[in-house]
Amino acid sequence: MSATGDLRVRDLAVRFAGQENLLFNIAALDLPSGNSLGISGISGAGKTTLFHCLAGIARPTAGQIGWGGTDIAALPVDALCRWRHRHLGLVFQDFHLVDGLSMLDNVLLPARFDRWKPPAALRQRARDLLAAVGLSAWERLASLLSRGERQRVALARALLLQPSIVMADEPTASLDQDHRAQIGDLLLELVRAQGATLIVVTHEQELLARMDRCMRLEQGALQALPAS
Amino acid sequence: MKRGFNPFPIVGADLRCNRLLVWVTVLLVAISVAAGIAVISQERALRQGSARAADDFDLLVGAPGSNTQLVLTSVYLRAQAIPLLDGELLAKASTAPGVKYAAPIAFGDNWQGHSIVGTIADFANRGGTLLPTEGRIFQRRGEAVVGASVALAIGATFSPAHGLHRAHDDEDAHGDPAHAAAQYTVVGRLPPRQNVWDTAILVPIEDVWRVHGLSDGHDTYAGQHIGPPWDAAHLSGVPAVAIKPDSVANAYRLRAQFRTPRSVAVFPAEVLNDLYLTLGNVRDLMSVLAITTQVLVVAAVLMALLVGFLARRRQFAVLRAIGASRLYVFCVVWIEVVLLITAGAALGVMLGWLGSNLLSHWMQSQIGFAMPVRLGATEGVLVVGLILTGAVVATLPAWLVFRRPIAEGLVSG
Repeated sequence: MSATGDLRVRDLAVRFAGQENLLFNIAALDLPSGNSLGISGISGAGKTTLFHCLAGIARPTAGQIGWGGTDIAALPVDALCRWRHRHLGLVFQDFHLVDGLSMLDNVLLPARFDRWKPPAALRQRARDLLAAVGLSAWERLASLLSRGERQRVALARALLLQPSIVMADEPTASLDQDHRAQIGDLLLELVRAQGATLIVVTHEQELLARMDRCMRLEQGALQALPAS
Repeated sequence: MKRGFNPFPIVGADLRCNRLLVWVTVLLVAISVAAGIAVISQERALRQGSARAADDFDLLVGAPGSNTQLVLTSVYLRAQAIPLLDGELLAKASTAPGVKYAAPIAFGDNWQGHSIVGTIADFANRGGTLLPTEGRIFQRRGEAVVGASVALAIGATFSPAHGLHRAHDDEDAHGDPAHAAAQYTVVGRLPPRQNVWDTAILVPIEDVWRVHGLSDGHDTYAGQHIGPPWDAAHLSGVPAVAIKPDSVANAYRLRAQFRTPRSVAVFPAEVLNDLYLTLGNVRDLMSVLAITTQVLVVAAVLMALLVGFLARRRQFAVLRAIGASRLYVFCVVWIEVVLLITAGAALGVMLGWLGSNLLSHWMQSQIGFAMPVRLGATEGVLVVGLILTGAVVATLPAWLVFRRPIAEGLVSG
């Protein structure tokens, strides 16, 4: 039986409505649990669409996306939602925090999706994660945070429920040079400490270089990049 | 195990971050609800207030003419020139079987704008049921009993001015020797009745007749006798006679008896009922207008909210991407709309009640009787109907958010 973080993709294809050509067609992609994969490619190559498909956010036109033996491409909407909640942590380029909530409440947000009040242990984990990403003053509103701080909160939020998969879409693209390195370090360090599978879509060569595997999406196909 | 979910942190955060939209929405709903509440409660207050003011008048007899005019003039002291009833009919009414008292109601003078009404002691104390809060009821000519709002102390004296309204210079009886010579002494003050009679001054009718050079209903001028029995041969005409029957059956019998070519007899309540039917039509029209306004406001508010939700579609897509169910985001949107409409409705009830009370207060000074404002079932139906309608209509934006693909929301601007 495979672990939840094992990825097995077969014949994955996406074609946008009204278009003749496939955006991409991936015959096979395998990633063992706990490994990291960096995906790069030029703008418009379909990186974000591939990211959405792997995260169960968008439906592929054809193919299977197996995470730990579950083909998420075939899951009904609500089951897919439960799957994301249980197994997946997401980090976005633009952080997507809720401005009217404090740092702590933003981190605890996924815990509100299936319970009224997060238990004390989860609240403590949220505080620990914020401390791990170097943040204190947990009651500060998200709207008052700098971009670097916002991405740290987003990272803590993604890890709150100890997901077996963490996916990040351009996690450092909207940060300045200093913060890029810090966030990259934290992402790798915390995800590895948790033993989760990590998939990062990024243009950032330095970040790609630190992944177990790197691939480039080009002309509709995923090609392995040589290890640096 | 299902443990539910908690959309309120997101709802609270959204409301905090969109204060302008929240306030505009709540105020729009509140104003439309307040207008509806004010219209309905004012109509009710007018009906109840006017009915209460007519409680002291079971049966009114007057000269042939407009029944409504007779009621408005006598009950509400809306002074108008009306034909006088033959004095002989007053004498007949006073001695008719089944009559507790038959009180002439005569006006035409004022003191500083307060109507001076000539009548009998039985009417002044409503057949003994209305005891003065100070002093006593008049017992002889030259004495006066004042309504609760008249600024005259017991023992004060004053002279009447001719006319129904205070003239600019009528600090005293102006230019009329008969009025100037007449003088009343205040001997009692009546309790508040919450109607125009609180501002009236009641005097023996004999004095009113004398001041106007008319015979005073008695065969000699020697005594100080006031009130019935009257001498029909010396009775002058009066604008109206208020009859207090001793039973319902006698009330109908007396009404029939005084419906003659020389007189009309009406139950003020009956005349008011006709007015209420007209008012009811107006109320229905106003209610339709109020409800139409509410529907339009709610539609406009929902459109504004829908635009707001569409602008936040990325936020909802993110919530779903990080694990929120479709039901969760549906609830966030639905609760936000329902909260705004409920808050607007609650504020509207308060504003409507407050506005209606202020309006009643002002109206009392204009029309002379209190208009008690009470919120009733109709207003409840209006408010609950609005909230329920809002709750149903709120499912539309919630549904749009519910069914929107996540990826589409994530890439939207």
